[in-house]
Amino acid sequence: MKISCSNLVKTYEGGKSGWPALRGVSFDIHKGEFVAVTGPSGCGKSTLLNIIGLLDEPSSGKYEFDGRNVLAMSDGERSDARRDSIGFVFQSFHLLNRLSSLENVCLPMRYAGVDAAEMKKRASGLLHKVGLKGKERKTPLELSGGERQRVAIARALANSPKVILADEPTGNLDSVSSRDIVDMLFALNAEGMTVVLVTHDREISARAGRNIRLRDGRIE
Amino acid sequence: MRALVNAVKTGLTEIWAHKMRSVLSFLAIAAGSVVFIEAFSAIFSTYERMEKQKAVSGMARLKISQNYSKTYSSPDDYVPPPVITYEDVLHLREKMPELYMVSPEGRDWHNVLEYGGQRVTSSLMGVTPEWAKRDFVYTLKGRFLGWHDVENKLRVCVLVKKAAPPPGNSFDKTMMKKYNFSGGFDTLVAHNDLLGKAVKIDGITFMVIGILEELPYSKRPNTILGRSQEYKILAPVTTLSHYGFIGSYQSLDVNIDTGSEQDFDESLRRINNFLKIRFGDGDFFIVENQLELIRDRISESLKSSLVTISLGMLAFIAGGIGIMNVTLATVFARTREIGIRRAVGASRGDIMLQFIVEAVMLGLIGGVLGSALGYFWGVPVKVMLAMDPSHIKPWMPLVSVLIAAFTAFAFAIYPAWVAAGLKPADALRAE
Repeated sequence: MKISCSNLVKTYEGGKSGWPALRGVSFDIHKGEFVAVTGPSGCGKSTLLNIIGLLDEPSSGKYEFDGRNVLAMSDGERSDARRDSIGFVFQSFHLLNRLSSLENVCLPMRYAGVDAAEMKKRASGLLHKVGLKGKERKTPLELSGGERQRVAIARALANSPKVILADEPTGNLDSVSSRDIVDMLFALNAEGMTVVLVTHDREISARAGRNIRLRDGRIE
Repeated sequence: MRALVNAVKTGLTEIWAHKMRSVLSFLAIAAGSVVFIEAFSAIFSTYERMEKQKAVSGMARLKISQNYSKTYSSPDDYVPPPVITYEDVLHLREKMPELYMVSPEGRDWHNVLEYGGQRVTSSLMGVTPEWAKRDFVYTLKGRFLGWHDVENKLRVCVLVKKAAPPPGNSFDKTMMKKYNFSGGFDTLVAHNDLLGKAVKIDGITFMVIGILEELPYSKRPNTILGRSQEYKILAPVTTLSHYGFIGSYQSLDVNIDTGSEQDFDESLRRINNFLKIRFGDGDFFIVENQLELIRDRISESLKSSLVTISLGMLAFIAGGIGIMNVTLATVFARTREIGIRRAVGASRGDIMLQFIVEAVMLGLIGGVLGSALGYFWGVPVKVMLAMDPSHIKPWMPLVSVLIAAFTAFAFAIYPAWVAAGLKPADALRAE
């Protein structure tokens, strides 16, 4: 597993010449790394993470995900790659409130065509792993912020991804929950999972194996 | 298949989660369904009636009658115009044996029928057995006139027993009272079993050999041409001529069915030719081309059917637009959810399928609701209004449900396409 970006540029439409979010960013992330992407607000951190996570496309540059040229992939191939190789953890959890915790964790497996019984077994196992045993039937609205983020982590792990992309996962959490979540991500990294984490938090970035600092769309 | 099951599950959850929205969508489609079933049954009944009428009346119809504009000239140089006699009819029959029906009609009015001391006014119609070949909307008791009766000028007759007027048609009843001078005839026939009895018509004894009972209104296919005559007493045309009921100056009308639409023009030409050879160039007779009339009536009827079905379709389109609106609103309300699903691996196809399946389920449920309403409500209403409910066939609701589902499908394609086209990153940013 290797993420390789070279000279990534992302310009959002608007104004005369558009608004540049990334102005030529190059880096590699290797298997098993814990990389923190830091920088002030509006420096392009989330844009970069969206591009790495195949949720968005760069305006120009080169991006290889796991040896494949992302710019040459079809929308369907990108969907498959997101489903099979990438787990997302978002700042605002992005869980479906009408579904139970278990069903939320099952969601990626549904799209992967996992058998129903296997899906439930695996989802329960993951909820157990993130410390939510017994809360499978609760909907996100019945859980605390920290618990919701744990559900999100369990969901991210559902299809045994190659990389976890976390976009300010502690941004909406109190300090205790934040520490739990970060510890969980570091524990996953210790098991060999590649983690890319966008954060404002200096403490977290200090713990990360490597930092990519962005300022005005460029790496400092 | 699994994707479809997932989409159905999600769809049901969403329909249940937004009950008000779903009920409104159901109602929109259900209304379309009800109207469509009504339209369908109206068309079906029109078609059925048309087919029955065609079978009863025939298509290739002609009528020869006297050209009245040639009948009267100034009293000074009055020359009686030629008339069509029974011999002329026989001659035509002989010349054109391929014609399906050649039915002469000669009429006498204000005849007095006497039976059991009662005297009622009536009218006589002289015919041959061919009369019964077309527009026969009766059930026969006894027997009809035979060739034996005609050839031997027998004093036999068949009486027509009127059906009760349709329920609630008080206008007809009033008009009958007002104009039906022979109302006593109908009562006499209705209340006495005259079959096999001897009656006197203008003092001459006739044997009643048959009673023609008009089919009740609900079962009678209206003949396309309608009845230009009201038939009361039918007797052999030869008998009526022989006994002076039909005067020698009186021309017979001749109703003809050429038998096939293909040969119609040729038959028409030959009949005109026959009249010319027999009666000269004087245009003493008019040959009415009733085929054109029948075709016009049928096409008019079909046109009105098209209007009805287009109303039904319009109702469905309205329902479809309702579903489209709801689905579009759903797409915008659930943009973030679309983003989340895309992030965890849903493809564009998955998203499209999800919204289409949801809309089709709205359509299906609405269609079932509407069909049930249309069927279980429409039938009793028709019975109450004394209309024939048999035209709402059990398969109509089924077709209606399918069309409802298809309409929902068709109208969900655009919103689903919009949903599938959203960029995951943009969708996730939506509030």
